[in-house]
Amino acid sequence: MTQMRKMTLLANFLAIAIVLNIIESAIPIIPVPGAKLGFANIVTLIILYVYSFKESFAITLLRVVLVALLSGKLLGITFYMSLSGAVFATLAMGFFKKLDFFGFVGVSTLGSVFHAIGQIIAGIFVIGSTAVLFYLPIMLLLSIPAGALTGIIAQRFYKIWQAWHNDIT
Amino acid sequence: MKKNLSVKNKRDILLVTLLFTLLGGIFILFRLFAFQGEAAVANVYYGNSNEPIVSIDFVNYRVIKNYDQNVSNSYDQIYPIIDEAEGTITLLGDYELSGVRQIVVIQYHYGNKTVQIIQEQSPNNICSREGVSSGWPLICLPNRVRVEFGTTPEDFTV
Repeated sequence: MTQMRKMTLLANFLAIAIVLNIIESAIPIIPVPGAKLGFANIVTLIILYVYSFKESFAITLLRVVLVALLSGKLLGITFYMSLSGAVFATLAMGFFKKLDFFGFVGVSTLGSVFHAIGQIIAGIFVIGSTAVLFYLPIMLLLSIPAGALTGIIAQRFYKIWQAWHNDIT
Repeated sequence: MKKNLSVKNKRDILLVTLLFTLLGGIFILFRLFAFQGEAAVANVYYGNSNEPIVSIDFVNYRVIKNYDQNVSNSYDQIYPIIDEAEGTITLLGDYELSGVRQIVVIQYHYGNKTVQIIQEQSPNNICSREGVSSGWPLICLPNRVRVEFGTTPEDFTV
């Protein structure tokens, strides 16, 4: 029963993450290649806290691949950049959560910073030029408010989730 | 638990502020010092190549086409097209609309030593919205066209 509930919840989380990712890629706020708000990261963060790193990593990978598939960018250049960013961010968030030193906002911000780093590293290989490094300072700077915002939203959600979760079990 | 959370929250606030000031400082320093020298040349690249397809020489006021783009026969022009009168370079990007590769138009200005992407097709039009650049590399991702600046002109005297 719990196994079934977990599966259903994870499927729902995946669907939410995909929708968030598609919506946010349609709102270009700042003219920097690859800069996004990272709302899909909320789901990664929530699953990390609700379940564990394993589930969170799997859902994030599935989200990146499925979004690429849905938007027809699978194995394109932007796909590799978002894949690398997502992997870096999830690994970093898993590590800092395990460290148990920072709260939601800290973990999320660090994840966001690593997302930018991962994206730029992939960009160097994909574009074949270190010119992408010129974008690193602005990407890192923008990643902090974005990561903090994501963390605050995830924290709010987690509190509501805990109340709800305690009600049904 | 409650106390533990508030300690973590304090650490979070500290971390975010510290990171923000640190990276903000790096960003400002980078902006101030990275583009001190005037650009002498701007190189236009296509794809993964490290050979510039077109070089814009701001010192000698000329544009040099190094090689042609490999395009299939269905496109009736030879790219890149260099229009000296308008000051534009037209390349064929990687982004396709109904199977047709779209053009990327780059405008250069000798006097100001600047380059700008004026026309390009892509979902968010990021690289044309980046505006005029005098040192900042312009990267058009779905089109895989990029413009990089150099401070020393390569050997164009030959």
